[in-house]
Amino acid sequence: MAGLRGLGRVVAGGVGGALALAALGGCVASRQEPGQATAAVADALAEAGSAAQTTRIAVELLSRGRLTGPVADTTLLDQLRVLDDADAALTTLVPPDAASSAHRADGLAAVGDVTDVVVAAREWVAVRSGGDLGAGPAGAGELLDDLDQAAGAVDEALAAAGGP
Amino acid sequence: MTHGPRIVDARLHLLSRQVLDVDGEPVSTVDDLELRGPDGSEARAGQEAHVAAILVGPALVTRLFGGRAPTSRMPRIAWDDVGHLGTAVELAVSSDGLDADWVEHWVRERLVERIPGGRHDPEGDR
Amino acid sequence: MKKVFAAALGILTAIGGFVDIGDLVTNAVVGSRFGMSLVWVVVVGVVGICLFASMAGRVTAVSGRATFEIIRERLGPRAAGANLVASFAINLLTLTAEIGGIALALHLASSVEPRLWIPVAGLAVWLVLWRVKFQIMENVAGLMGLLLVGFAVALFLLGPDWGELLRQAVPPSPPGTEHPASYWYYAVALFGAAMTPYEVFFFSSGAVEERWTAKDLSTNRVNVLVGFPLGGLLSVAIAACAAVVLLPAGIEVSSLSQIVLPVAQAGGVLLLALVIVGIVAATFGAALETALSSGYTVAQYLGWSWGKFRRPARAARFHLTMIVALLLGVGILMTSVDPIAVTEMSVVFSAVALPLTYVPILVVANDPEYMGEHVNGRVVNALGTVYLVIVVVAAVAAIPLMIATGAGS
Repeated sequence: MAGLRGLGRVVAGGVGGALALAALGGCVASRQEPGQATAAVADALAEAGSAAQTTRIAVELLSRGRLTGPVADTTLLDQLRVLDDADAALTTLVPPDAASSAHRADGLAAVGDVTDVVVAAREWVAVRSGGDLGAGPAGAGELLDDLDQAAGAVDEALAAAGGP
Repeated sequence: MTHGPRIVDARLHLLSRQVLDVDGEPVSTVDDLELRGPDGSEARAGQEAHVAAILVGPALVTRLFGGRAPTSRMPRIAWDDVGHLGTAVELAVSSDGLDADWVEHWVRERLVERIPGGRHDPEGDR
Repeated sequence: MKKVFAAALGILTAIGGFVDIGDLVTNAVVGSRFGMSLVWVVVVGVVGICLFASMAGRVTAVSGRATFEIIRERLGPRAAGANLVASFAINLLTLTAEIGGIALALHLASSVEPRLWIPVAGLAVWLVLWRVKFQIMENVAGLMGLLLVGFAVALFLLGPDWGELLRQAVPPSPPGTEHPASYWYYAVALFGAAMTPYEVFFFSSGAVEERWTAKDLSTNRVNVLVGFPLGGLLSVAIAACAAVVLLPAGIEVSSLSQIVLPVAQAGGVLLLALVIVGIVAATFGAALETALSSGYTVAQYLGWSWGKFRRPARAARFHLTMIVALLLGVGILMTSVDPIAVTEMSVVFSAVALPLTYVPILVVANDPEYMGEHVNGRVVNALGTVYLVIVVVAAVAAIPLMIATGAGS
């Protein structure tokens, strides 16, 4: 029995220590190293690309009547949050050299493009769900074209930043 | 099973066991034991001793962190109230009459019974 | 009828316990990033939870003592107390995640923002705990949670390339774009989500609520062998849906809304609606289970009167504990913390806490004083020992992996 009690104590101590380590780990993560900046840009762009693709699926499904208004609206709202995070990651980055500075600028522009389209898509969803926004943006086709363009910009910036 | 007196290891078979009242309702855990010498005085090492009471509540704190509270301050369940010893300590009395269970009574009367439905029987028909 | 509902305890634990918000999120994230290459973890997790849940159910049915009473008795007040603090904290984290999950699912259904749903969800959970009969609670939540089968239906309607899915799964071949550390981080998270400790607390205490005796051992076996593998299948279906629709599009799952997109694509509005109801039921069921587990663990450690089968007044401190836990969970969520982030935390810390729960169960299941003739057989003990090694490795690796990968990002 003594052995087991000892084990319990060791495990309990381990959990406590691990929690403390995890807290410290959070502080270390924000450190910037040269070369990491480009990787951070690529990460943010991957998030933006994911948001663009999610928006595409949501718009396509809603235009074919396979999605409810609330789910489409929530999906787009969630994507705006992802884009906000990506934008924040890029704006708070301190580029160590000219190359990563250029990547950052391209990335910010691409994220901005995607955000504009998602905002327009959300208006479109609101109009379809019976909201009274007047004329609103045009149909799903136009939105998807805009999305293509924005996603293309993200892909280009991503390729430049050495992403997948 | 052998007949005759059963040998019980207080540390293994008593401490931290669940205490149930006569209706099978949980009352507490055996947090500590009060040992008394043959003449009713405090038990001393090396002398014969018997279990006088089960200590509950604050006894857990002193067992966890050490130290000693005055014995008069410890909520206790007299050993005479114990009916049977199995995988739980079964009392021969109801928990409602036990002073040692005062915290449960307090929470029951001051809080839970005052919330609507606090006395509602979930198993009953409704 | 009685026999049909006899399996309900297992099904509720499986749907609400196996497929809870943690599994939904973790499986979808894994499917969208690693395809089917982590399915083996779900299989390992299902076998593990079957093994230990049936052991805990057997201990309770035979001895009448629930899991945490036994943990206290075997580990002593100190080690068990440390165990209680850790288990309660992780349980609270899981409860918080589940209430957040209910709010997110209701957000999907209504567009009303989650912060408004959180207090409503908390109150609804409490009302059920306060008034509803245990059997009704588990049958309703279990049967409605079965609507999550919609994920499996969606997978068939999507008509995927089954050969390709199988190729990703056996032998496991993670995509080259992902770092191995991330792969193993999610393996641990998935394992933690599958073997979440509250499932065992709830399952063994539920056996007391349903007044099981040694005669009910076959019910125990049926519950475990029907319920958890069913939950495992649903988990795999969720991951597969994400792998078929989201992975090729380069989508990384970060919200509940993305998880249901494949269902909408496959089955349209009707299937989507059914699955959303299923998600609400599953997260609601899991919130009930975790709230109950917080009461069970504290009450059993301290020897208080507990159980939903008693009038609340006859288990006053038990009900008070659950109310406090619910208030804490709602309070945490009202700070605008992201429920998905809480969920991801909860599954990883579950993995850390696994040995605390499973070691004592294995010890007591071998104790003839409690178990009489029903002690573990050799096969169960051998399997149990193997799992103990896996559980300890996962627990030790969880935090370093979390730090090394920045929580999998």
